[in-house]
Amino acid sequence: MLRRRLWGCLCAGLLAALLCGFVAMPALAADAAEIDEVLAGFDDEEDADLQEILEGFDEEDGLEAAEAEDEPDSSFWRLSGELFLGSSYNLRSHRPPPGSAQYSGLSRLRLELDLELDLELPRSWKARIAGRGFYDFAYRIHGRSNYTDEVLDLYQWEAEFTEVYLQGSLLRDLDLKVGRQVVNWGTGETFRVVDVLNPLDNREPGLVDIEDLRLPVVMTKLDYYFGDWDLSLIAVHERRLNEDPVFGSDFFPPELGLGLPDREPAQTLGNTEWAVALRGVFEGWDLGFFAARYYEDTPRVEFPGFEVVRGAVVPLPTRHSRITLLGATSNLALGDWLLRGEVAHRDGLEYFHRSGRKTSRLDVLLGVDYSGFTDTLIAVDLVNRRVHGWQNSFLDTPDFTRRNSVEMAFRIQRDFLRDTLHVTLLAVGFGKKIEDGGVVRLGVDYDLLDALSVGGGVLLFESGDLPPLSAFGPNDRVYFETRYSF
Amino acid sequence: MVRGGAARILWAAMTFLVIPALAVLTAAAETPSAREIMERVEDRDEGHPSIIDVEMTLIDKSGRKRLREIRAFGMDRGEDELQLLFFLAPADLKDTGFLTYDYDEFGKDEEQWLYLPALKKTKRIASNDRSGSFMGSDFSYADMTSRDLDQYDYTLMKETDVDGVPVWQIESVPRTAKESKETGYTKSILFVRKDNYVVIRSVGWLKKAGRLKYMDVKALEEIDGIWVETEIHMTTKKGQKTLHKTVLRNSNIRLEQEEIGEDFFTVRQMEKGL
Repeated sequence: MLRRRLWGCLCAGLLAALLCGFVAMPALAADAAEIDEVLAGFDDEEDADLQEILEGFDEEDGLEAAEAEDEPDSSFWRLSGELFLGSSYNLRSHRPPPGSAQYSGLSRLRLELDLELDLELPRSWKARIAGRGFYDFAYRIHGRSNYTDEVLDLYQWEAEFTEVYLQGSLLRDLDLKVGRQVVNWGTGETFRVVDVLNPLDNREPGLVDIEDLRLPVVMTKLDYYFGDWDLSLIAVHERRLNEDPVFGSDFFPPELGLGLPDREPAQTLGNTEWAVALRGVFEGWDLGFFAARYYEDTPRVEFPGFEVVRGAVVPLPTRHSRITLLGATSNLALGDWLLRGEVAHRDGLEYFHRSGRKTSRLDVLLGVDYSGFTDTLIAVDLVNRRVHGWQNSFLDTPDFTRRNSVEMAFRIQRDFLRDTLHVTLLAVGFGKKIEDGGVVRLGVDYDLLDALSVGGGVLLFESGDLPPLSAFGPNDRVYFETRYSF
Repeated sequence: MVRGGAARILWAAMTFLVIPALAVLTAAAETPSAREIMERVEDRDEGHPSIIDVEMTLIDKSGRKRLREIRAFGMDRGEDELQLLFFLAPADLKDTGFLTYDYDEFGKDEEQWLYLPALKKTKRIASNDRSGSFMGSDFSYADMTSRDLDQYDYTLMKETDVDGVPVWQIESVPRTAKESKETGYTKSILFVRKDNYVVIRSVGWLKKAGRLKYMDVKALEEIDGIWVETEIHMTTKKGQKTLHKTVLRNSNIRLEQEEIGEDFFTVRQMEKGL
């Protein structure tokens, strides 16, 4: 039933794309005939008609702009930010695990403030200090006692520094950026293949703004530029992991029980993550090569899953594997089409059912963007992740891993009303037949003023057979957002 | 008598045939063809490499205003034009960068990259459609880049004046449906100043039925011997009704900034920001 509904949404998306084309196609098809007709009309156009048109220059329309301010901003600092109010309403009532809250109606009423202080320093160096904080009133409205401590810790409020960095040129062709920052590798926006350096905010899947999706970490990044190439050397000093749904939240997979304690990699010099990228930009195409030695964000359960301490059986904490990644990306522009490709080989993966033996995975992404319709972008992405040394037991608890994991995404976004109304439809499916879950998001944003926008939309989920999407199904919701930028 | 008659006939011939013919020939030699005028328009010195602060006020038909501020860097690389734009306002677009390589070679697609600071990501843009609105303004991407003269037929309609300044009135018609589709125009009439080859007015017929776009240079300054438009109004009309209007003002104009080299117009610089 739900699967049919999801496919219905996917079909609706495709239909929307087709309609978009449908609207454009008659114009295209009629081009030749109409132009001939119109241009022929120009030939016998009456002088009087042309004169009337040219008089358009002299007509008063009463639309005047304010006088320009000639003085440029010469201050060495600049404070900017955003005030955000967002709410979500669950469309279906459900209670995820025993003892947790009944999720229905209002599930989020978040007030958030983002601040950025930018400093212009001597010799063209720059610094940024940015932070954000939010408070979610929904938990107080429903009563804090209805939620688990894990949920309250992660969802009710937060205050943190986001980007804090210093940036400049050491030499003519050598740049340095040091501090808490985001490094975004990869060609697409929906799936990650080589983009592994920053953890993700997955607390509310599908609802986190793409701008806030990547969590900044402390890095030192050196970029050396030669010819058409950029060589990046990166050391990641901060161990920070994905923020995933926790026990008691409406997206937490029931298969994980009460959840296990997680042993995060220590913040030591020896645990520093390393990365190298070599990227070239050429006429009509790009090419990138990537290597990284990093900690997997997704925790794994260690075999046998428990230990005996003083006669008592206690669960082993989950750990994070150290991964070696080798990857490549490419973009190829062909007229209105942008063809994208990514490939990555990850080595060092560990599974409960293959204890003591590390294995590898090959991820391949193929994507295409089409920008031939005015103010419209259509993007399709297809990913396959293939685990080497896979065995049937990988499907069982706690690995929940298929030999081949297929991911598909379709996105169409279009701007209307002179760039004031933005509509986005995103449909993401996991598994060849969406058997591992899916998400459809239809969102609309409207700029009331330059600084003020309002928006909203609907999110529909399809549960998957395996975690992490196994608990997604009942979480359909609508959302509303207001932003004030300054 | 006979001699005298022949002389009179000769004078008459001179008067009625040769002199007018010479006058016509002289005039023809002085008046360049429409194509020649447009070549001079294209070849006009724009003072590159240049830095210009651009302020665009977008005004809808009810008078509601939106403001866009950009710092624009431009330079020529041979016949190609490089442009790097940094958006300064509104706040949600701050630090967004837009890099364009506009190739002169016929058939070679221009290259564009967009840096989105919120995503920390540079996206390559693949689109031949230049008819879309630039940042919601009445200027399209086609209006912001140069035209390939070979893609148009130009006709000198007449010599006239705009506000007392002598101009050539030229009709420009795209030669192919493809060019018309990509720019969004089916035809344009341009008014080119005779003294400096600046297009000071134009009206463009949009493919969208019944819509016209009026470009009117309201202020023009000569800076270091180079003519620069400092205020341009672009108005979209349907009949006599104004649908939308954009007032573009250029300020802090710095021309021939030779310290800006080709290596400034790179993804590296776009990501570093201003």
